[in-house]
Amino acid sequence: MPKPTLITPVDEDKQLRILWDDDELSEFPFGYLRGWCPCAMCQGHSGDRNFVKVDDPQLVDIKPVGNYALNIIWKDCVNGIYTFAYLKELSNALEDAAAQPTQG
Amino acid sequence: MPSEQNIRTHLRKIDYPGSKHDIITLGLVGDIQVNDSAVIVQLRATNAKEEVLQHLRARIVSALTAMPDVGQVHVHLPGQEQTGSPQPPAGQHKPGPQIKDPTVVSGVKHIIAVASGKGGVGKSTVAVNLALALGALGKTVGLLDADVYGPSIPIMMGTEATPRAGQNKKIYPVEKYGVSLISMGFFLDEKSPVIWRGPIVMGIIRQFLRDVIWGDLDYLVVDLPPGTGDIALTLTQEVPLSGGVVVTTPQDVALLDVQRGIAMLKQVNVPILGVIENMSFYVCPECNHKEEIFGHGGAQKTGFPILGEIPLVEDLRAGGDNGKPLVLADPDHPVSQQFRAIAQRVIEAGDLVVEQQGQTVQ
Repeated sequence: MPKPTLITPVDEDKQLRILWDDDELSEFPFGYLRGWCPCAMCQGHSGDRNFVKVDDPQLVDIKPVGNYALNIIWKDCVNGIYTFAYLKELSNALEDAAAQPTQG
Repeated sequence: MPSEQNIRTHLRKIDYPGSKHDIITLGLVGDIQVNDSAVIVQLRATNAKEEVLQHLRARIVSALTAMPDVGQVHVHLPGQEQTGSPQPPAGQHKPGPQIKDPTVVSGVKHIIAVASGKGGVGKSTVAVNLALALGALGKTVGLLDADVYGPSIPIMMGTEATPRAGQNKKIYPVEKYGVSLISMGFFLDEKSPVIWRGPIVMGIIRQFLRDVIWGDLDYLVVDLPPGTGDIALTLTQEVPLSGGVVVTTPQDVALLDVQRGIAMLKQVNVPILGVIENMSFYVCPECNHKEEIFGHGGAQKTGFPILGEIPLVEDLRAGGDNGKPLVLADPDHPVSQQFRAIAQRVIEAGDLVVEQQGQTVQ
């Protein structure tokens, strides 16, 4: 599983950039990343994935979770544990922008 | 006076160490200020290590001072926003998110979890003897008894000492046989059951990791409780583990649970250093007949490297019950030798993991 090497929140661009150890670079608009927060508060228990649209999402903090995930803390949701695999998935989906909402 | 645009163009030539991406593309460079010929470059808060930042600072300085119209170059690392002159306009800088280094247990090089999906396979016996075998190979070792509900490390290590309190609510571990120990058992009398729900137990594990003054350790061996519950999950989320050592017995029923334990470690990206098959066989001390009581080859079916096969031996059990583990009580015993061989394999496998992860966040 690829892991992040360098994690850079770029506030001016409202973007989180992640350089992976396979040297791929992911650029996540805050709105996109916030919208796909995987926590149960945002996603509920239906099993479907929901995009939670948030106006002007504020990134507060990022905490590493063991060997496998980042806890990305937003002003309005602190619970999201984004596994590396999920972040890669989101990154790939972003590249295929037509298929996914990409509010930034 | 150099333009900011021109400076950024020059900085685009600097690649991040080990990457084909430059520091502008990666977003590392924040604000750039130009005052006559003096340039101030602010680097953004990231998870980059101090030595990487220092390396980049030197490269930025040499790249920019090579520009004809640039005089002094200041590179401000994250957290240094307000130092140096000229001061940036008030309110222009806001500290970004703090991205902490996950090596939260300061001074500890490797954290190794001794795990198994099943109870009663001898995790604690293995953890104790593995810790002492690592010590015998010259490593400084700590042993964290994460089995909060059924702590057995104090008995096996033969100590009922109470850990000393340090300053700021820190705890000194108990020292025995050259190993630093912490266990819920040190805080309870023998007959008190621990009747706590998950969140309290998770708090205890966090305290054991962060509030215990472990000092400089080569290895912190964590004796996990059976199963894939709160304690195992907390441990894997709180700290980056160097690896997991999985203990099993040979029979198929044990294997079923052990596979679940392995699957959990895989899910949270903990490298599995290998499997120890405990109670592998029994050799009759009278006639030397070897009996495979629990069957054969269980550990092999996991598909992971076998770190060792430990036979059912009375001395091993007795060492635990007497508080003087076999590796220490009888270093020449074949099983003690076996444990040292296992410890050696754990060291090698752990080093390999660190080598492979050298470039990453960990």
